[in-house]
Amino acid sequence: MNLRRVLTITRRVMRQILRDRRTVALIVFAPMLMLTLGAILFRSDPAPIPLGVLNVDQGVTSPIVGTIELGQRIVDELAASDDLAVVTLSQEEVDDRLRDGTVEAALYFPEDFTTSFVANRQAVLDLLLEGSNPMRSVTITAHVTQAAMRGLAGLAGTGFGVPSVPQATEGETALPVSVQATYLYGGEEFDTMDFVAPVYIALLSMFFVFLLACVAFLRERSQGTMERLAATPATQMEIVLGYMLGLGLFALIQVAVILFFTIWVIKIHYLGSLSLLLLVIALLAIVGVNMGILASAFARNEFQVIQFVPLVIIPQVLLGGTFWAVQDMPNFLQPFAYIMPIYYANNALRDVMLKGWGLAEIWPNLAILVGITGVLIILSSMMMRREVS
Amino acid sequence: MDFVVETHDLRKYFGSIHAVDGVDLSVGRGEIYGLIGPNGSGKTTLIRLLIGLLRPTSGSIRLLGEDMPNKAILAQTGYMTQASALYEELTVRENVAFFADMCGKYDPTWRDEVIELVNLQDRSRSLIRTLSGGLRQRTSLACALAHKPRLLLLDEPTVGVDPQLRATFWSYFRSLADTGITLIISSHVMDEAERCDRLGFLRQGKLLAEGTPAVLRNQKGTTTLEEAFLQFAVEATEGGE
Repeated sequence: MNLRRVLTITRRVMRQILRDRRTVALIVFAPMLMLTLGAILFRSDPAPIPLGVLNVDQGVTSPIVGTIELGQRIVDELAASDDLAVVTLSQEEVDDRLRDGTVEAALYFPEDFTTSFVANRQAVLDLLLEGSNPMRSVTITAHVTQAAMRGLAGLAGTGFGVPSVPQATEGETALPVSVQATYLYGGEEFDTMDFVAPVYIALLSMFFVFLLACVAFLRERSQGTMERLAATPATQMEIVLGYMLGLGLFALIQVAVILFFTIWVIKIHYLGSLSLLLLVIALLAIVGVNMGILASAFARNEFQVIQFVPLVIIPQVLLGGTFWAVQDMPNFLQPFAYIMPIYYANNALRDVMLKGWGLAEIWPNLAILVGITGVLIILSSMMMRREVS
Repeated sequence: MDFVVETHDLRKYFGSIHAVDGVDLSVGRGEIYGLIGPNGSGKTTLIRLLIGLLRPTSGSIRLLGEDMPNKAILAQTGYMTQASALYEELTVRENVAFFADMCGKYDPTWRDEVIELVNLQDRSRSLIRTLSGGLRQRTSLACALAHKPRLLLLDEPTVGVDPQLRATFWSYFRSLADTGITLIISSHVMDEAERCDRLGFLRQGKLLAEGTPAVLRNQKGTTTLEEAFLQFAVEATEGGE
């Protein structure tokens, strides 16, 4: 062991990294960017969730305290919440408004809502959730439960109030409020994996082919064959398209593997047609290939390709509606979602797998993915032309 | 006479560096034209300009009677550099066939002839990554010839090649020239310069002198081209000051 040699290697490594400005920038700025983005996303005040309310509660009239309308009390509490935007609905409107997304859940108070609370000391909330985003469903359920608890708390001293000591039944604390949730899309048999599957599939379909394309195209340049190709009649567009088709074939094989493994081995539940799913993720994979080709124009070596993972892939995850709903993001971040190809694939896949929608409903997302592919092909060709200066 | 390669007042500036600084070149059919000069004299830039890999700052280029840039004419030109530039995962014959195809001139018979010409018929099905540097360089030459070009632009094709293979390469070059193919070959090795029909001495982006090896030697009364080159260089330096 020779310390001098060790330190000489140390010095050489430091020198090499310092001379690669992009690596230095990545070490310094990438964590700051990621942290800022995370902080913005976690701390942002989400927009109020539109909640439909259908209240036909008749209340209870008692000779001592007068009329108690528990349904109205809870509605008032819901309306007072900053997290919810209450919309009064009629019976006929409920399904349509949930389907077109103008409300994300609907809360129904039947005529005997107060009566049955008085009888059972238990308020059962009938909540119909849109259901395609489980995170969203949990949030809404929590907000509704809290508002109901506050509504009940206001009854203390009226004789209708909350039992002072919750009764323990079967080892669980019995809350005076329970939510009976039903779902427009999805439902009991859908578990978390079923809900996450669409975005998970999208992410995998894009990630690996992006890296594959990036490295393959980079190698063409580093081994000198790109220069040789440029000295033939082959045009930049022909080269990019040739790559797209060649790599696209393998992307398709991977897409098939991902999809069939998810469905038959992981056994996720899904609605909608399988061939439509294949079409969506195939389109996304083609986008991934073209993003890789474009990104490789900015890389000089394989190491720099790895640097594109935090720069290209992570923003897709954070901003593309993968785990954070785009409508929950601060307004100034939302436009970024619309330039993330994965955003459109996520939308299309959720619509197909969880809502059972068809081509007639999801085609705008597919058209945008095709458009992005076209733009990427043109940009890649232009980047290659720029090298001939 | 129609020239295969013609440039007029060709210039390429990279910022303040004048890599090619007013070159007039005329090369005829079947000629082996040697671009001779030290490293950094502008040989590679000049060849890259000719093949359209760089755009000139000013001046004009005509290849095979067509004004450049012209992608279509590249189907009739072959290009090779000192780096072998091959697909490592493909075999010799697959590489040769690929580049022929890129020029729209793939013909299996000619592919095999070209591979035979560079004496690689026994390794024709070997992957490039299993080949030594010399064999790669021969494959690279075969790729440059795969589409029957009428003009070959070879940028230091024999750098890093052992003396025996270098002699073999030059015999290939001569036999190609004999069939009417024009070759422009850059080199900084003077014994290679002797084998060219005509030479251009290049220094700091300018042609110092042009002519057959014998004429260039006689002009300076030297016995070797190396001495002649140095004399031209000294003269240019003094003339410039």
